[in-house]
Amino acid sequence: MDDVAPAKARVLFVDDEPRVLTTMRMLFRSRYEVFFAESGQAALDLLKTQPVDVIVSDQRMPGMTGIEMLRAARDLNPNAMRILLTGYSDLNAIIGSINEGEIFRFVNKPWMNDDLSTTVARAVAAAKASMAAAAAAAPASTENADSASVQPGADAAGVLVMDDDPRVPPQIQTILGPTFKVYGATSMNEAVEQLEKNQIGVVISDTRVQDHPVVSLIGTLKQHHPELVSVILTDRADAGSAIELINQGQIYRFITKPIHDSQCKIAVNSAVRQHQRLAASPVLQQRYEVEAPAVPPPVAAGGTGLLDRVKSLRSWVRRLGS
Amino acid sequence: MKKLRQVFFALLAVAAIGVLVFLLRMTQSVDADLHRSRLERIQVVGNLDVLLNRQFTGSRVSSLADSVTDRSGTTGQLDTALNALDKDVGALRGLTPEIDKALDAFLDTIESKFELAFDSEARNTLLTQRLINSMDAVPTYADAVTTAATDAQREEVRNLTMQVKTEIVNFGVTPTPPAAAAGNIRALLEQLQAMAPPTPPPAPVAEGEPQFEPEDPPFTKAVKGLRDRSEEVIADKTELVAKLRDFLDRPTGAQLQALEQAYMAWHESQVAVANQYRTYLAAYAAALLLVLAFLGFRLARSFREIDRANADLSHANEHLEEQVTARTKDLSTALQDLRASQAQLVQSEKMASLGTMVAGVAHEINTPLGYARSNTEIVRNSLDDLRGLITAQDKALTLMTSQNASDEEVAGALGEAEGLRATLNPAETMEDLGNLLKDTDFGLVQIADLVSSLKDFSRVDRSRTDLFDINSGIDSALKIANNLLKTRIEVVRQFGELPQVECSPSQLNQVFLNLFTNAAQAIEGEGKIYIHTTAETDGVVVRILDTGCGMTEEVRARIFEPFFTTKAVGKGTGLGLSIVFRIIEEHGGRIDVRSTVGKGSEFVVRLPLKQKRHSGDTAGSAAPELAAA
Repeated sequence: MDDVAPAKARVLFVDDEPRVLTTMRMLFRSRYEVFFAESGQAALDLLKTQPVDVIVSDQRMPGMTGIEMLRAARDLNPNAMRILLTGYSDLNAIIGSINEGEIFRFVNKPWMNDDLSTTVARAVAAAKASMAAAAAAAPASTENADSASVQPGADAAGVLVMDDDPRVPPQIQTILGPTFKVYGATSMNEAVEQLEKNQIGVVISDTRVQDHPVVSLIGTLKQHHPELVSVILTDRADAGSAIELINQGQIYRFITKPIHDSQCKIAVNSAVRQHQRLAASPVLQQRYEVEAPAVPPPVAAGGTGLLDRVKSLRSWVRRLGS
Repeated sequence: MKKLRQVFFALLAVAAIGVLVFLLRMTQSVDADLHRSRLERIQVVGNLDVLLNRQFTGSRVSSLADSVTDRSGTTGQLDTALNALDKDVGALRGLTPEIDKALDAFLDTIESKFELAFDSEARNTLLTQRLINSMDAVPTYADAVTTAATDAQREEVRNLTMQVKTEIVNFGVTPTPPAAAAGNIRALLEQLQAMAPPTPPPAPVAEGEPQFEPEDPPFTKAVKGLRDRSEEVIADKTELVAKLRDFLDRPTGAQLQALEQAYMAWHESQVAVANQYRTYLAAYAAALLLVLAFLGFRLARSFREIDRANADLSHANEHLEEQVTARTKDLSTALQDLRASQAQLVQSEKMASLGTMVAGVAHEINTPLGYARSNTEIVRNSLDDLRGLITAQDKALTLMTSQNASDEEVAGALGEAEGLRATLNPAETMEDLGNLLKDTDFGLVQIADLVSSLKDFSRVDRSRTDLFDINSGIDSALKIANNLLKTRIEVVRQFGELPQVECSPSQLNQVFLNLFTNAAQAIEGEGKIYIHTTAETDGVVVRILDTGCGMTEEVRARIFEPFFTTKAVGKGTGLGLSIVFRIIEEHGGRIDVRSTVGKGSEFVVRLPLKQKRHSGDTAGSAAPELAAA
């Protein structure tokens, strides 16, 4: 088992409960090169000397929380995929993990071994891909520049705002300023129409539109158009839907109403840059791969037809890129 | 300020009244009564002067004594009247220099008159007496003349003597006889003289008184006598009249008039001044009236306002009853609402603590549950592998012992079993499995512990008043609160030997959990909580010390008030410590706080060993209320 290929992925597990680490060792030692840390600080110390592909961390630990550790880890080792494995987390922790930790998945304790294995495997694949992209970044820069020149300024990509409240899109437009094109939609149908008609790079959405959860739409969008970046803007945040949105929709940012101008602007700017990166480097999109919902969620008011439309959306980015 | 204004207005009013009084006095300076009495006094003096003159002139011989008496009486009266004019109250003196001068002149004159009267009193009396005597003598002498006359002439002589007598009487009696009267008398006497016979009067003379007519005839002698008497009368009378004239000529009347005029002039001027002041007074009164009118207007206005206010007030009074009823209803509704919302708040506080607890407990349970479940799955999978190995080994063994098995079969089976054994490394796997199961056991025990703690904590299966070990209560509360504490807070326990305390365990657990939660929230970052328990003679003492942020004296004084919270809106109901306070109070205990900002806080809970029994069970009585809340 020691004579494994050098390509064997490195996975770091962080938990203050050593028995969890034992279990992880039993589960993953055959597939990956596994590392363990019993606290956030120990994990960071390890990361300084040992780059890893995936970090799986508990949230509640003495001294340093999982999110704090993951945020620091993002700076130390930006290519590593981050997974939060926790028994219970309040909403603030989840929002923090999305916005600050930019985590790949959120896994609840107790976990299913198969699911955890799949998630870790996906994370490993994404990490490999992004590592390759990063390696290719330098030589491929001219190529990227070419594609960027074909597409006149990625910031030309519009921002779609989905909200029940028709006042929100103009408000966002005011906050972002005239360099952004903001499209509004008060229903999912409208949103799909807008997506069909316009170049959209960033979707800002409430968690529910017309009383339907948007997670399936966002998830489908991400599945088929991974270059789209989603930002959730809501005043009825709850932990469950946030976890769904991160796991199934790979939402990029989660901000709560009332809207703070600067916070909103920073989030959207960051989302647009993210979109540009993704559009330029499709291989990176794996990092933001979503998991297909186990059971296709029943989508009312549009049903699967709507999702089909989403699947068949013209991918102008690809078209332009090809 | 207001007082100053009042004083100012009072002074103003006093000044206004003062001016009014002054003006009134000035207009009243002409005293009509005094004026009249003064005029009367002048008149009295004038009358008395005239009377005196009359008495002086009208004195008769016949009533000489009377007239003197009368005169002295009049003089007395005049003296009094003069005094009244000169010196008494309301006298004229001192009014003006002119009046004084006139008065002085008059007084001097009248004084001189008095002196004159006094001086000539004796002489007058003498003269008058003599006059009377002479007059009385005249008829005798006249008769003598008549007698001496001749018969022929007797009638004529009688006439003449008669005339002389009449003239003399008239002359003597008339106070101031005409100047011609003396001449008349003398002419008559001359006529008589002329009627005398020639030098030697004839016999007829002898007829009369022939005995003595040595040189003069008796007629001539008689005429001469008459003439002498008459001359006496004339001389006396003339002297008297001269004296009288002298007396009467003293210009008392004119001077009195001058005095009166001077006085009148003064009076006129006084009246003029008074009139002037009257004009001023009228103007001033008009001005005052204007001010009064203004004040009255203002007063009327404020009265109107007061009236309106009164009307409003009475209106309000009329409606007070219904308002009170309405308000009472509102208040009772509000009270009900308040009670409801308080109950709701207490409930939400419980839910919030429950939420915190559940969050912690969920994590505490999910972690061991996670690895336990994962481990069982691994064990199951490994067991499958082991089963395969065992099956292979079994098969190889069976084949080896079998009579009819070929060597190839045996070798094949053995090789397969060996291959499986090599991959599985059963010794290591068995050890791993043992370890996994040990971990799983450990996790399950942890979960069981936690569940038992929860059960202990809620004590739903125990009676409300129970003998309870406070130390174990603190332990179970710490276990519940562990998720809050373990990541950053070190708990230092110093438990003493404690007797069991009669109490409601679930409530006390709530108290401890609350205090630990607060302590943990007070600690920013890492810190320590010291828990110290000691037994005292009649109870137990629990000290909970944290190294948190502490609190100010103002906060410390209020922390047990319901709804007081230093946490952000929505983060705490502010009921936690008030519930703690109530529970401890209802257990007959005490809770004290000491705190230093920046250093930490210490909560000291004292609980008695036994509950007081009054009107049933005390702890029990509190419990339903809290349970219901």
